[in-house]
Amino acid sequence: MTGPWLSSKNLGKVVLGAFLIVLALLQLFPLVWVFNYSLQKTGDLFGSAFFSLPAVPQWNNYVRAFVDGKILQSSINSVFIVVTSVAATSVLAFCIAYACTRMSWKLRKVVLGFVSLGMVIPIHVTLLPNFIWFGMFGMLDTHLSLIIPYVAFQISFSTLVIAAQLQSVPLAMEESAFMDGAKYRSILPKIIAPMAAPSIVTAMISTFLADWNEFIMANTYLATDDKRTLPFSIIRFQGVYASDYAVQFACMVLVAIPALIIFFLFSKWIMAGVSAGAVKG
Amino acid sequence: MKKIVVALCVAVLVTVGAGAQTKVSLKQGDNLPDRTSGMGLVFDTINSEFKAANPGVDIAVESYPDQPWQEKVKIYVAAKQLPDINKYWSFPGMFKPLIDAKLVQPLDKGAFDKLGYLPGALESNVYDGKLYGLPLTADCWVIYYNKKLFKEAGVTVPTTYEELLALVPKFKAKGIIPAVTDGKDAWPLVETFDNLAERINGNFGRVDAALKRTAKFTDPDFVQAATLLQKMATSGLFADDLMVSDYGASRNLFGQGKAAMYLMGTWEVGLATDANFSQDFRDNVDAFKFPVVKGGKGKVDDLVAWYGGNIFVNATGKNKDMGVKYLDFLAKRWPALAWEKQAGYPAQKVVARANDTTLAKTLLAIGSDAKATSGTPSLDRSDAQFKDSIQKAIGELVVSIITPEEFCKKVDAAAAKAAKK
Amino acid sequence: MAETKPLSGGFVSLERVPMKRLFNNRPVIAALVVPGLLIMVFAMIIPIGFSVYYSLTNWSGIGDFQWVGFANYVEILTADPTFWRSLANVGILILVTVFLQNTAAFALAALLARLTPRWSRFFRTIYFIPAVLSVVVITALWGNIMNPTFGILNKFLSLFTTDPVTTSWLGKPATALGSVVWIIVWQGFGWALLFFYSALMTLPVELEEAAKIDGAGRWMTYTRVILPYLFPVISAIIVIDVISSLKQMEIIFLSTGGGPGDLTQFTAVYLYQKAFVASQYGYGNGLSILFVVVAVGLTLLVQRIFRTEGELA
Repeated sequence: MTGPWLSSKNLGKVVLGAFLIVLALLQLFPLVWVFNYSLQKTGDLFGSAFFSLPAVPQWNNYVRAFVDGKILQSSINSVFIVVTSVAATSVLAFCIAYACTRMSWKLRKVVLGFVSLGMVIPIHVTLLPNFIWFGMFGMLDTHLSLIIPYVAFQISFSTLVIAAQLQSVPLAMEESAFMDGAKYRSILPKIIAPMAAPSIVTAMISTFLADWNEFIMANTYLATDDKRTLPFSIIRFQGVYASDYAVQFACMVLVAIPALIIFFLFSKWIMAGVSAGAVKG
Repeated sequence: MKKIVVALCVAVLVTVGAGAQTKVSLKQGDNLPDRTSGMGLVFDTINSEFKAANPGVDIAVESYPDQPWQEKVKIYVAAKQLPDINKYWSFPGMFKPLIDAKLVQPLDKGAFDKLGYLPGALESNVYDGKLYGLPLTADCWVIYYNKKLFKEAGVTVPTTYEELLALVPKFKAKGIIPAVTDGKDAWPLVETFDNLAERINGNFGRVDAALKRTAKFTDPDFVQAATLLQKMATSGLFADDLMVSDYGASRNLFGQGKAAMYLMGTWEVGLATDANFSQDFRDNVDAFKFPVVKGGKGKVDDLVAWYGGNIFVNATGKNKDMGVKYLDFLAKRWPALAWEKQAGYPAQKVVARANDTTLAKTLLAIGSDAKATSGTPSLDRSDAQFKDSIQKAIGELVVSIITPEEFCKKVDAAAAKAAKK
Repeated sequence: MAETKPLSGGFVSLERVPMKRLFNNRPVIAALVVPGLLIMVFAMIIPIGFSVYYSLTNWSGIGDFQWVGFANYVEILTADPTFWRSLANVGILILVTVFLQNTAAFALAALLARLTPRWSRFFRTIYFIPAVLSVVVITALWGNIMNPTFGILNKFLSLFTTDPVTTSWLGKPATALGSVVWIIVWQGFGWALLFFYSALMTLPVELEEAAKIDGAGRWMTYTRVILPYLFPVISAIIVIDVISSLKQMEIIFLSTGGGPGDLTQFTAVYLYQKAFVASQYGYGNGLSILFVVVAVGLTLLVQRIFRTEGELA
C-alpha cells in the first residue's frame, strides 16, 4: 500500500515541482553558458564540445576585458548617461501621463496617442538624419548626444505604463489637496507620484534595461574612445576577421551583471507596477 | 610696475612659444578594433613610430568592425566630417563614389613605385589615371588544409575538382568535416564561384565582359561554374550549416582540428602562429592551390587575387599634407612589420625569413608562382546593388532553392541593371 | 474616467481656485507636456521628416542623388516580393506570439499563482532572466544549440532516432523561420509571464469563489469567468505583442540575416540592409516610412478590434 504522502495530490505537486525546476534550470542556462565561455580560450569556443568546463579557467580574459576593454571608463560613461536618461525619461513620462489622464483639455487623448505611437519608430531610420541634425548643434561626441535620443525613444513605453496606472487612481486625491491650498508643484511629487510608484518603477527598469544594452546609437553619435559606453567594450575585441571571442564573452558578463543586479533588487516593484497598470477602471 | 611688465612679457613669450609648437591632431578611422594583435597592432606600432618621428603630431584612432565602419564612413561623409586617414576598400563600388565626391587626396604614384609593390597592386587603386590609395595586402584565394587530418583519412592533396569532391566520403567516415568557409557573409562563396568560372573558361576577363555586357552571366561557362558550386554544397563538402556559419565560427572549427580544409584568403597566414590554437594544429596547417577542373581551360597557377584593403587621405581635411606624409611613412614600414607579426600577406614584396612557418612559405610561393591574377572579385566590380543581388542569389544557389540556371539569370539581370546606370 | 465634479456646496472658505480651472490650467498642462514632446520631436520626428525627404531620392548614402518622387514607393509596393515576404513573416510572428507564447505564459502564470508567494517570486525571477540578457548573448547561445553537427538539440533528438539527426535548423529552408521565431518568442517569454501573472494577481478572490459555488470546474472557471474578466489586460498585451513583433531586428540579423533567400526576412531587418548594407539609402528610407505607416495602422486596427478605451487615440 502506498503511504499517505504518495497520494495523487502530492504526486501532482511533485511533478509540478519537478517541471518548474527543470524549466528554471533551462532559463538559467544562458547565464551559466556565457560565464563558462568567458573562462575558455578563444580557440576552444564554438567547437564540438557544447558545454565543457575549461581545463584552466582563463581569468585573464577578465583582466584583458578590464584593461584592453577599458571597462572602467566605459562604465562611468554608461552609468552617467543611463542614470540621467532614466531620470529624465521617468519624470517627463510621468508629467505627460498625468496631464493626459487627469487634466481636462481637448487634445489630451491625441497627445497620449501620439506619444505612445512613438514606440513604432525604428531607430535605424533616425541615425543618419540625427547625426547631421545633432551636428548642427555641436552635440556630437558628447553624452548629451545619447541622452536625448534615449529619452525620446523610451518615453513612449514609460508614458503608456504610467498612464495606465494613473487612470485607476481616484481623482479625490487632488481635490482634497487643492482644498487644503496645495499647488501642483507639490501635489504631483508628494501625492500622485507615490500612488503611481509601481508603474513609475516599472517604467524606470524597462528604460534602464533598454538604455544599458544600447549600442547602435552609441556607435553612431560617439567618436572618441574615452566617451564610449559599456556595450562597446565587446567590440574592442572584434578583429577584422577573427575575433577574441572568449574575452568578448567576459565583457558580456560584465555588462550583464549590473542589469541583473538592478533587476533582482527591483523585481518586486516590476510586479506591482505591471499589475497596477494591467487593470484599468 | 616693473614686475607687471616682466610678468606680461613672460606671459606673452609663453603663449607665443606654445603656439609656435603647432600641434597637429590627425584623425584616423579603420576596421581594426582589436589593437592587441594582427593588423591593429601593426597600425598602433606604426602610429607610435610616426609620432616619435614627428613630435607635435597626435593621432586619434576610431575603430569599428567592418560593417559599422562602412556605415560610419557614410555618415561622416554626409556630415562632412571624414577622418584625415581612412583604412578602406579599393573596390570600385565602394571607393569610386568617394573619389567622385572629391573626398580622396590623389597621391604621387612615382613616389611609391619604388617601394616593392606587387604587380597590379598600385594599379588597383588607380582611377582616372591617378593613384588614390595605397594597397595594404594581397588577397589571394587558396585552400588551407590540416595535414594531420589528411593523413588520418588517408588522402592526399587534390589537384582537380573531382578529386576534391572524392575526399568527402573519406573524411566523413572519420567524423571530420571536409571543408568550412564563411557562408554567412556570402562573399567567400562568390570568390569560389569566380575561381570555378576561371578554371572552366581560362579567362579572368570574362567577368568584366559580362559586366560590360559584351558577354552574359547566362553563358555556359558561368552556368557550369554555378553547377559545380552547388555540387560542392550538395555533395557534403561543407557542413550543413554553411549558410549560418560566420567567419569566426568557421575559422575556429578549422583551427580546432574539426575540419580538414578551409577556403579562405592569404590574409590568414597567421593561422600558423595563432596562440589561440593548439601547437599541434599550428604545426600541421598548410595550404594548396585551388584545383583545376577536368576539361577546363584554367590552370592551377591562375590565381584569384585582388588588393582589397587600402588606405587613403581625406582631400577635404585640413591635415591632408600630414596625412600624405603618414602614408609615405606607412608604405616604408608596413611590409616588414605586417610580415613580422604575420598580420597578413603584404601587397609589397617580402622575403621569407628562415624561421617563417611552412604555411607562410607556401603562401609566398603560391603568390610568386601566379601566372595570371583576377583582380577585383566579381561581386565588387560593380555597384553596391549588384553586390547585394549576387550575394543573395548565391545563398539561394548553395541551399538549392534555385537552380544554377536561375542563379545565372538573376546575376545577369543584376548586371544589366547596373550597366544601365 | 470620471470628469471633475464640481465641489458640493459649502466648502468654499479655503478654495483658492475653482476646481474646474485647476484641472484645465493651461500653463500647467503646457509645462507638463511640452518638454517631453519637444524631445520627441527633436530626436524622433525631425529625423523621420529627413527620412521622408531621402525616400523621395535615389541616394546611395554617398555622393550626389536625384529626385525620384514616389518611384521608390511604387517599386516597393509593386515590384518587391521581399517587402511583402517580410510583412508576412511579421504576421506569422504576431500569430505565434499572441496565440502560442501567451497561452504558454498564461498557463505557467496560473500554475505559479497556486504556489506560495515566496516560491512563485523565486521562479518568476529566474524565468525572467533571458529577458534581461542582451540579444547578442541569446542569439549566440541558440546558434550554438542549433548547430547541425555539434549542437545539443540534434544530439538530443538523435537519442530517439536510428540515424543521427543533422538538421541545420537555422540554415535549412524548411526550418529556418520556425527556429528564428522560436528564439524570439523564447526571449520575450519572461515579460509575457510577468504580465499574465500580475493580471492574475488582480483577480478578486470572490470571483473564483463564486464560480466554485456555482459548480464550475477548473476549465470552465478559467474560460468563462477569468479570461473575460482579464480581457482589458489581455488586449493591452496583444497590442504590445504586435508592436514588438514589428520591431524585431537584432535576433534575426545576428542569426540568419534574413536568409536563406528571403525566408526569414523581417521588415525591420530588410530596411536596415537596404539602407546601410546595400547602399540604397533612398530606397531603405522608403521602406522605413512604409514600415511606420504599416505599424501605426496595424496598432490602431488591433486597438479598434479590442476597443481598449482611453489608451491610444
